[in-house]
Amino acid sequence: MRISTNWLKDFVELAPPVARIADRLTLAGLEVKKCEQLTQPSDTLFEIEITSNRPDWLSHFGVAREIAAVENISLKNPVVDSEAGRTPPPGWKIQIKDVAGCPYYTGVLIEGITETQTPDFIVNRLLACGIRSINLIVDITNYVLLEVGQPLHAFDADLIRGKEIVVRKPKQGEKFALINGAQIELKPDDLVIADSDRAVALAGVMGGKDSEISDKTRNVFLESAFFNPGRVRKTSRIHQLSSDSSYRFERRVDPEGVDLGRSRALALIQKYAKPRYMSAVIKAGEKPQLDVKTVHFRIEEVKQVLGVEIKPSQIASILTRLGLDAKPHSEGVLKVGIPSFRPDLTRSIDLIEEIARIYGYEHIPETLPVREPLTVGESPRLVLERKVRNFLSGAGLCETVTFSLISEDGLDPVKDLKQAVQIVNPLQHGLHWMRPTLVTSLLTVIQKNVNAGADSIPLFEVANVYSAPDAHKHPVEERVCAIALYGKKAAQTWLDAARAVTFYDLKGYVEAILKSAGCADLCVAKIQKNYFAEGIAEELRTWQTPLAFLGQVSEELLKKWDLKEPVYYAEISLEKLLAQSQKVRLFQEWPKYPAIERDLSLVVKGLVKGGDLITEIRGMGQGLIRDVELFDLFRGKRVPEGCKNLAFRIIYQSAERTLVSDEVQKLHDKIAQTLVQKYQASFQI
Amino acid sequence: MKDQINLVEKEAREDLSRIDSVDSAEAFRVAYLGKKGKLTELFKKLGAVPPEEKKAVGAELNRVKQWLESAVEEFRQKAPKTGAPLEMFDETLPGVRPTQGSIHLLQQTIQEISGIFSRMGFETVEGPEIETEFHNFTALNIPLDHPSRDAFDTFYTTHGQLLRSQTSTVQIRVMKERKPPLKIIAPGRVYRPDTVDASHSFMFHQIEGLMVDDRVTFSDLKGVLHLFLRELFGSQTKIRFRPHFFPFTEPSVEIDIQWGKGWLEILGAGSVDPNVFKEVKYDTSVVRGFAFGLGVERIAMLRHGINDIRHFYENDLRFLRQF
Repeated sequence: MRISTNWLKDFVELAPPVARIADRLTLAGLEVKKCEQLTQPSDTLFEIEITSNRPDWLSHFGVAREIAAVENISLKNPVVDSEAGRTPPPGWKIQIKDVAGCPYYTGVLIEGITETQTPDFIVNRLLACGIRSINLIVDITNYVLLEVGQPLHAFDADLIRGKEIVVRKPKQGEKFALINGAQIELKPDDLVIADSDRAVALAGVMGGKDSEISDKTRNVFLESAFFNPGRVRKTSRIHQLSSDSSYRFERRVDPEGVDLGRSRALALIQKYAKPRYMSAVIKAGEKPQLDVKTVHFRIEEVKQVLGVEIKPSQIASILTRLGLDAKPHSEGVLKVGIPSFRPDLTRSIDLIEEIARIYGYEHIPETLPVREPLTVGESPRLVLERKVRNFLSGAGLCETVTFSLISEDGLDPVKDLKQAVQIVNPLQHGLHWMRPTLVTSLLTVIQKNVNAGADSIPLFEVANVYSAPDAHKHPVEERVCAIALYGKKAAQTWLDAARAVTFYDLKGYVEAILKSAGCADLCVAKIQKNYFAEGIAEELRTWQTPLAFLGQVSEELLKKWDLKEPVYYAEISLEKLLAQSQKVRLFQEWPKYPAIERDLSLVVKGLVKGGDLITEIRGMGQGLIRDVELFDLFRGKRVPEGCKNLAFRIIYQSAERTLVSDEVQKLHDKIAQTLVQKYQASFQI
Repeated sequence: MKDQINLVEKEAREDLSRIDSVDSAEAFRVAYLGKKGKLTELFKKLGAVPPEEKKAVGAELNRVKQWLESAVEEFRQKAPKTGAPLEMFDETLPGVRPTQGSIHLLQQTIQEISGIFSRMGFETVEGPEIETEFHNFTALNIPLDHPSRDAFDTFYTTHGQLLRSQTSTVQIRVMKERKPPLKIIAPGRVYRPDTVDASHSFMFHQIEGLMVDDRVTFSDLKGVLHLFLRELFGSQTKIRFRPHFFPFTEPSVEIDIQWGKGWLEILGAGSVDPNVFKEVKYDTSVVRGFAFGLGVERIAMLRHGINDIRHFYENDLRFLRQF
């Protein structure tokens, strides 16, 4: 909201410079975001930001009241009309049919306006606050709204039928033409101001086209009322209509302000519109009272909450300056009366905040809590995550952060999204799924980097995936580590040639993570996923628990993301890995006796699986094989077509004794012979 | 004998001036110092020299030998400039660097902030991102259909859950599970339907903090948060505490740090509102606490001079590898 300091000077003295006042207000919680200097007429504008708990600051008088409290200076009241000695308007009546929506409604009939010129000071002040001058009566209602915070509405009295004001709910299917020209269909919970025939205003939000004040208007019905904040808010939201009035009503106006605003407007109308006749005020309903009118408050609580001792006299002084009625109640207890404009003060803690605010947060000392130390545990999952991040970033991968909300692009509506969590009010780009996988997010990152000229893109992200396997239960979030590799494994250097990344590079990262978390005994199974290429996808498990899956992204997706080279993608479930991992590793002694290494080079049919051979070799080891490594694999050259050559290094070692060379050779030969027979292998190279 | 030595030396001086390549330098060395070199031959004759002269002649031979050796060596040093280059260790070649990976700047910032609070005894905890009305609003004293909700526009799921709009939800979960005393911080993703621009995103990261025990005061809040900001931004950091409004704290405060000529909002905080304690069934007559929340992106942008929040989520390798 924009506040004119010239206007403030009607109510308080502002000792220059005004920038100091702005700082004081900011440090009391009424934040002045910006000071703007105006010329002609010379003025300083405060751009203020008001929190939703302080609607009483939404006016010049309200801000002046705060300045008076902060500066401890006196406050002048606005000039108002006495409203005395007048007669009620003959034949006019007000009827409230929805008391919950409108507990208090007042009005005055003004007839025979003789002047229509808005005085310059009103035009200028409205303009400074961002409101254009329309005509004298409307300008005065806007002026009063900005001055004391009470929204008023003026009807052309000649357009009100039946001299009757009814505050009611809309009739079924009732339509209404707004002052801004739009036509709306009223909702059952709306509240309208109606005459004997039809709605003439959407209560507290906007007036109607049919009863609008025009240049020809000579007779005016002026409304000042209190509308239920929740109802105004609901109407404003449902019709997406917001106005300076609704903004204030939905935050709750001061019930006393209903009378103040009206009598202030009457004073201005009397002076500048020079009407022939003004009626007495007609009223319906009662001013709503505060739920809590007094708060009993123990002074010692101030120290307990704030950690600073403030003298009781100073506490009482602060409360009084804020317009509260603080009286001693009993030993150490104050009885504090709450004014009508402060419904936010209902508990002693609310009063303590007020005291702290005016006392100044800057005067409260800084202390450090002196307490028994607590044990500060660290979640094992966070420990694991840190390990994974350190490992992968150390290995040359870059961590990404991508949005958890995705579109269905690239995913299958049944296979991928059937159990996915959907958002009802997505913001943009159809991002209405909580992602069940990170694959499409990382493809997008790869695409962006390819377009930026990168040719080696190794990525990982640690984030949640979401699913709702049971629609009646709360959705499940699972922390995963996703890895995506694209392009070169390593760029060419003056020592090494470049090499493209392969599926087995990806598998190596995954295996290393699983093993370093203490998951031995991994087994592998082929799987299928909609977004992987047919046949190039697998799952790594320990016992029966799948820990990770990995594969080559399908051609279709690569095309969709416009990628020329393959993408290898893996997802590791950190939750499951954690459950399977060893918290504290126990030392394992290595064998004392020397190892003997023997190599075994075999030519086998192309369809024979390397892993099967390794398992086979281990199975025949009679407990003497410590490890089997595949150290070479090639095709072509002298290897017959449809075959491949696999070279294994078998490490023989016993935990109990030194192995004899002959014994190892015998075993090695036997293994070789068995493989030759079983897999129709040969040794020829 | 001495004359012979002088003669060889004189010859050598003349030959030396003719050396113009690595090869001729080597030939020169062989001619004088090789197995059958002219000087070597003279050394062989040393045995025949009378004993009284031996010392002086030996010294003279050694002098010439050293001169010859140093002359050859000197030429070798200079050789590459005049003759064909010699293969040798090149200390100027670039190292073969491993591929550079990185941990995302937001994660690094979270780790750094968590680290500071961890040293002050705060435990890092986490909570779900898909939440209930209760944890995101009701328990945090944010009434339904109230303007204070305007600041917390929210994504909803088709089954009536919501995406948390703040990490304060974790406070509630932890307090419902544990008894005081508590000192926790909770980093994580939060969601608000804001259109993405240079300073807004519909997903961003917050860190929530909470301390609860029987005596904690507003002055403790000031002390702890000032210490934190000094650790993060340096000991010279100037800060100010400004009253504010949050539904779940009372008194509430926003903390600004001085940045250039102005102030920048960096943290929201306050004493836990008794209504929040009531929601988690804590005894409000005994329990006190403070809570705070900060935006990770905002802090990272300030510290690293990043002017567009979208850099964090676009994941350009040229961005990622800078940190």
